Amino acid sequence: MPQLVPPDVAFLPLLPILLVLAGALISTLLGFWVGRRTLTMINIVTVILSGASMMSLWNGGLTSFAGSLQADNAAILLGLIVLVGTLMSLLVSLDTAWRERVSFPEFDAMMMYAVTGCLLIVFSGDLIVMLIGLEIMSLAGYVLATFQGSRRAEESGLKYFLLGAVGSAILIYGIAFVYGATGTLNYAAIAAKVGSVSNLTPENVGILVGGSLLLLAGFGFKIALVPFHQWTPDVYSGAPTTTFLFLSTVVKVAAFAGMMRVFGGALTDAPGWSSVLQILTAATLIIGNTAALFQTNFKRMLAYSAVAHTGFLAMCLLGTPELGGAALGYYLLVYTLMTGAALAVVAALQRTEAGFEMGDMRGLYYRHPGYAVALSVCLASLAGLPPFAGFFGKYLAFQAAFQNGYVWISVLAAVTSVAALVYYLRPAMLMFMPDRTPAREYAHGQRFPTTFTVGLGVASITVLGILPNVWYSWVANPAIWSFLAGR
Amino acid sequence: MFDPQWLPTIMIFLPLLGSLLVFVTPNRWRDEVAGFMAAVTLGIGLMIWYAGGSGLLSLNWIPALGITYSVELSGVSLALAMVTAFMSFIAVLYAARRIPNPGTMLALILAMETGLLGIFAARDLILFYVFFEDALLPSLLMLAIYGKAHRMRALVKFAAYTLFGSLLMLVSIIGVRYLGGSPTFALVDLKQNLVTGPAQTWLYLGFLTAMAVKLPLWPLHAWLPDFHEQNHDSGIPDVMGTLYKVGGYGLFTFAIPLFPDASLELRPILMGLAAFTALYSAWIAFGQKDWKRLLAYAGLSHMGFVALGVFSLNETAVIGAMYLLAFQNLYTGALFLSVGMVQERIGSLDTRVGGLMTGAGALGGLTIALWFASIAVPGFAGFIGEFSVLLGAYQVSPWLAFMAGITTIAAAAYALTAFQTTFWQARPLGSVAVRDLVHTEWLILGLPLVVAIFFGVYSAPALNLMQPAVKSVLAALGGN
Repeated sequence: MPQLVPPDVAFLPLLPILLVLAGALISTLLGFWVGRRTLTMINIVTVILSGASMMSLWNGGLTSFAGSLQADNAAILLGLIVLVGTLMSLLVSLDTAWRERVSFPEFDAMMMYAVTGCLLIVFSGDLIVMLIGLEIMSLAGYVLATFQGSRRAEESGLKYFLLGAVGSAILIYGIAFVYGATGTLNYAAIAAKVGSVSNLTPENVGILVGGSLLLLAGFGFKIALVPFHQWTPDVYSGAPTTTFLFLSTVVKVAAFAGMMRVFGGALTDAPGWSSVLQILTAATLIIGNTAALFQTNFKRMLAYSAVAHTGFLAMCLLGTPELGGAALGYYLLVYTLMTGAALAVVAALQRTEAGFEMGDMRGLYYRHPGYAVALSVCLASLAGLPPFAGFFGKYLAFQAAFQNGYVWISVLAAVTSVAALVYYLRPAMLMFMPDRTPAREYAHGQRFPTTFTVGLGVASITVLGILPNVWYSWVANPAIWSFLAGR
Repeated sequence: MFDPQWLPTIMIFLPLLGSLLVFVTPNRWRDEVAGFMAAVTLGIGLMIWYAGGSGLLSLNWIPALGITYSVELSGVSLALAMVTAFMSFIAVLYAARRIPNPGTMLALILAMETGLLGIFAARDLILFYVFFEDALLPSLLMLAIYGKAHRMRALVKFAAYTLFGSLLMLVSIIGVRYLGGSPTFALVDLKQNLVTGPAQTWLYLGFLTAMAVKLPLWPLHAWLPDFHEQNHDSGIPDVMGTLYKVGGYGLFTFAIPLFPDASLELRPILMGLAAFTALYSAWIAFGQKDWKRLLAYAGLSHMGFVALGVFSLNETAVIGAMYLLAFQNLYTGALFLSVGMVQERIGSLDTRVGGLMTGAGALGGLTIALWFASIAVPGFAGFIGEFSVLLGAYQVSPWLAFMAGITTIAAAAYALTAFQTTFWQARPLGSVAVRDLVHTEWLILGLPLVVAIFFGVYSAPALNLMQPAVKSVLAALGGN
């Protein structure tokens, strides 16, 4: 009779996820008795507690479920970024949810479930945990996109669901292939197998390449990599702005964290995927940036800019895990902060969920000076202008790709960035042009939590731009990123 | 006693502090605060000059990335920084009087001064890039807030050109360090770990693109006329715009030492482009009917000279180029302000108004004197610069020097024609009396002129400052 082995469950590394999950459950259950704003406050507290518990795990290197879940330093850094984005979304939702007609407890519950999924991806030690996290995150995301009872929201939600489901299916198929080639789902075990291709029979190499390409395509859907990006502009601009904020920061960070785990850790030495990824990255840079150039709606422009930023972030994946991981760790935080703050301003000032038209931005500086300056700082940072943190993010992405031999991608990124600068600068400059027509903003948009979020974002990108070391010294240690697959 | 190494840092960031202060001071004191900050900055510059330049201050900024905060003001960079501080002071002086409610403009002038001083002081490539881009933001805002009807087009053009160049430069910067294997981005370290072979040429080209846009060098100059035409009439943003011509300086300080083989290799082509730029833009300037566009093309022509000097890699020519680069700011800047004064009086920037001289004799007199400086009449600083450039370039390529030399004739033609049709000629019928210069306007046009004459007659102090710097930079070429 076989010995019964109890599962290896350690709760300490699970704690950050459990705290967030507790927030989700509280929102689900207490929603019947307590108002949404109270729940949001509770969730903010759980998110902060989760962050604190994460920090206490620093350098601990704990694992649970026999390595299926690992709380290594990479997970903690990326997890903190996820929480920063969540915090910003929650704070903004305090003010704007009722205006966006999504002010019910389920909204908070779904958001927290999505964060739980995100953290599972970030902490994942094998493909199954990653997949579970991804599915939790995606399902909650589909609901979030549809929540607002409008045609636009329903359309965007349905689109997101259909394409997301296709993406997930491809991803699962990829996981099956990788399992077929290597006989394991654990990152570390896959990395060990892949590291010496001689362990694989020649037929299996083909299966491995197929699997990694399918995985790449599946992740491509989640991070909006061209040509899997078609849903992005419609979903982002069709969803309520708070949801846009959440989807474009938190969900994207988590998907990139998953990619870092899989491609930077488990499949680093697998053949094929990097040459495909560089072509997809190039296409993303070109299409994302050019398409954004032609948008007349500010919110839609930001949606395309999110696609363009996927291109820059994907450049980090082309670097060696050590350099690329550090670059990604820095860029993702900065990206979250600047996108979050920019969308917070839009959420506060827009009249309708369609966001601003470009022309509406004219003269904003003379009506809402604080928000206008903040928004232009965000745009300058998104454009990669020093002294704001976006510059170092871009710089690190260039460097990661350049030093791994992808010089042409760096040059292409530089050239396409010119389009980015034009479409970011145009609204930024419009805001400062004098204007005599009546205001087109929502007059009562400036409320404390949103202003706090915007202030937090702007202050952080300025500080991180002048003193990048504040965050970079944490993520720069190459040792963090060389064990992405676990030891 | 205080460590003089910190003086450049104080000089760089003092205007930025002033710019922030302007926003918190009450309206009626803003002029004084801005003027005081600009004056103190200039004073610190004089202190550094008196001490014979500052030493190199190098701190670790981002150790993980090998980026240092290295600044030094000495030699050429000190001269350029002094001129920048001086002209910023003049611009503040004029803005305070000319622009109603000038708080924002004063803040932008000071913010831009910080960027420019930083560019000249930086001795680390990334730091240089950071200041290079930082100087851009205030100039864009000046154009956006104070520009004319078609400013958006001008703005997008300007931004797209400059940023296209600078992003390629950023890739080059990454390449210079990585391929050369230098531990940091500090110039000292990079010089000891040069990239060699064809890679150097490619990196030089990336670097060159940014500088050629800023210079600007044909065919990357198209943003310049629109930029000046669409800016505010007063000419204050234009003064800051002319100070922005950091391309020549960047080529001199970074490109020659870091890419010596490539600069020798590309010398004939680049000299040709530079000479062509000088002649071509002088020709275009001749046909302009708008004072601002005329000045823009005149400036472009001067920059062709600067580029010719730098690219020739000859000691005399490079000194001349740096001399011209420094002092061109004085008289071109002052000319932009004089154009602003003309516009203030007659409401037009057209070069064919006629008869201004009858009412505004002093304005006309100072303007023509500044034009003499601009077309390099002996006795003005511009002459020493242009003459040295031609002298040096002749030793390298007589034909190109000859071609550029023709420009001086063309310059006289466009300058004098435009001046004649504006200030002399028949006074238009029914025109009202034009007010002559009043109080600070005398200083605004007079001070730059005095400095231009001083350094045209007595060039030793500036030359002594520049010569060792130029010698040390050219030493990187191993004697050409």
